[in-house]
Amino acid sequence: MSSPAISLRGLSKSFRLFGRRTQFQTLKSALLKRDLRPEPEGSVQALRGLTFDIARGEAFGVIGRNGSGKSTLLKIVSGILKPTEGLVSVNGRVSALIELGAGFHPEISGRENIYINGIMLGLSRKEIDRRFERIVEFSGIGEFLDQPVKTYSSGMYVRLGFAVAVHVDPEILIVDEVLSVGDEEFSQKCIAKIQQMKARGTTLVFVTHQLPLVKELCDRAVWIERGAMAAIGDPARVVDAYLQEVAGNHQAAPSEVPIIRGEQGSAAAAPAEEPAENDPLEEERWGSGEALITEVSLRDERGRQLVALGGRNPVTVRMDVAARTPQTDFVFGVAIYHADGTCVYGTNTEIEGWRPGNLEGEGSVEFIMPSLDLVAGSYRLDVAIHTKNGRAYDYRRGAIRFIVGSGLHDVGIYRPPHEWTFRGGIALEKAQAGRRDVPPEIEKTLRELDDSDESS
Amino acid sequence: MLPQLVVLARHRQLITTLTSRDLKARYRGSLLGYFWSLANPLLLLGVYTLVFTRFFPRPDISPYALFLFAGILPWIFFSGSVMESTVAISGNAGLIKKVMFPAEALPIVVVLSHLVHFALALPVLLAAFIIAFALGKVPFHPVIVFVPILMILQALFVAGIALAVSSASVLFRDLRDLVQNLLQLGFFLTPIIYSLDKIPSQLMRTALRLNPMTPFVVGFQDIFVFGRPPTLVDAVLMAFWAIASLATGFVVFDRLRDTLAEAI
Repeated sequence: MSSPAISLRGLSKSFRLFGRRTQFQTLKSALLKRDLRPEPEGSVQALRGLTFDIARGEAFGVIGRNGSGKSTLLKIVSGILKPTEGLVSVNGRVSALIELGAGFHPEISGRENIYINGIMLGLSRKEIDRRFERIVEFSGIGEFLDQPVKTYSSGMYVRLGFAVAVHVDPEILIVDEVLSVGDEEFSQKCIAKIQQMKARGTTLVFVTHQLPLVKELCDRAVWIERGAMAAIGDPARVVDAYLQEVAGNHQAAPSEVPIIRGEQGSAAAAPAEEPAENDPLEEERWGSGEALITEVSLRDERGRQLVALGGRNPVTVRMDVAARTPQTDFVFGVAIYHADGTCVYGTNTEIEGWRPGNLEGEGSVEFIMPSLDLVAGSYRLDVAIHTKNGRAYDYRRGAIRFIVGSGLHDVGIYRPPHEWTFRGGIALEKAQAGRRDVPPEIEKTLRELDDSDESS
Repeated sequence: MLPQLVVLARHRQLITTLTSRDLKARYRGSLLGYFWSLANPLLLLGVYTLVFTRFFPRPDISPYALFLFAGILPWIFFSGSVMESTVAISGNAGLIKKVMFPAEALPIVVVLSHLVHFALALPVLLAAFIIAFALGKVPFHPVIVFVPILMILQALFVAGIALAVSSASVLFRDLRDLVQNLLQLGFFLTPIIYSLDKIPSQLMRTALRLNPMTPFVVGFQDIFVFGRPPTLVDAVLMAFWAIASLATGFVVFDRLRDTLAEAI
């Protein structure tokens, strides 16, 4: 049982475009060309190189914008479409809810449609007999059971479709955005049913735009962006990354091809991969590579490396720089972003009036902040070396992600240094406990870092 | 051909269920539905009988009405199935696009459902035959019990055409019009309203024999009107057309299969 339920390897799908002219191609022209298949006018890449596994019993969410390829992915997994490239292996009985009640025939009764739909989903007549009562009960169509389906309301239609599909007892249930149809009560019922199936070990794959549901139900999630994987893993993380992107926090798109991805400090100018594949939680990096920021770190006043910071501590951003060729036109930049994408602060040497002299060989740059003054939250740091007119030598977006901890529950991003004073008839007393800059778990991390620094 | 047949066999429950759905939707459980299915052959029968026994009497075939009826039933099985198979897949886009569904089941369902119509019309033909026999107009031959074999061979032949036509008409929208016209032409190029033996030109007779529907129609006329088994040549032709058509149908279908869900 250790083999994954669904395994994708380099899965790509392109759709050929059939325009008006070719859509209504005549048999005559096809025969003249000696090929029965119409000539496509072009193609659209719907999925590009997806590789991941979905384990047995896992609840797996697929999120992404409309048209990003989510439904195509589900259709390939459920066997409706064939991949253009790559391999898909699916182990277990699949029940796919791409569209509820897709196989219903309007002229015949609900009762008979239950049988037909069940058989289409792979059950035998006997198996349906055994499940019949439960299906009818779940769907709640009651006395309409023997009426032709065309007399049903759209809600009843959907309920019946869902009822049949979940009672197939699939090993793998594939659900495409169908939980949003139907009324609130039925929707809750569906979610409860899905949870029950999950508890019984059914592998679930579902596409939805109801992101809280993904966080709630899924063990893992993937975010598909323009057919490629943008992020995969913990649903909360993936959903947040997606929300951050959707909120419209695109920086100016990099004009240069990214030169390096992956390990910090690796100076190898590996050939660029698709920028769309970048995980927003990973660093994005681009530039010409003539000068590189080989290492970025956050350090305290004693030069020790930090990952978690208290709001009031002094912090230094240290960049180790190496120039492949000597440069005379260069600007160092630093920017801090909140996890929601808000730019907290950005500056560079050009803005602050530093005229570039010479950049040659190796060196280091320190950006010293006597006090960070940030409210608790997670942040990312961008660093860059670029020319005065903005051409990047090395731009490292999200080079470092760091957490600012605080025992206070103040809100926002910036915490101006401040104090309270009260005069006259106002008396307040300061509570003794609970006023700490650094919460215990962060302090522990800091201590561990201290230890490792000292031991090395 | 064998692997495709295995796939169909695996989905037999689906195919039979869909066929009965088709029939139920058509008849809606009513007797009237059944009569409607007979309306078309009976109408044709009436018109041609009137024309050829009253307007241009043809005393050389007797009884002419029975002769016509024996030929019209297999023809309607063929033309009805082929015509409907042009929309068998394109008319079920929901199934092809939204459900994991063996598309080849759809044309097969069309053929089976028309085969059932054919079988349901058979008692009427049989009744007509018994009346004619009782009146001493036609002889009886025990080969009549082999009629189901003729029907099965014809069903295989029709299934091959239906597979090809159903998949190709997804890609070629003009196929439907072409098929409609060819079927109309085919009706007159098949010895249904006339007898093959009465054609004076040897060349024409040979040409009409090349029409794959000819042996199936002539076989029925032999059994029900002339009280004789189909000739050996006709029997071989029937088997040949059945296999050739099915093999071709599967080849065409397999070539187009993967494009169906996208092109539909």
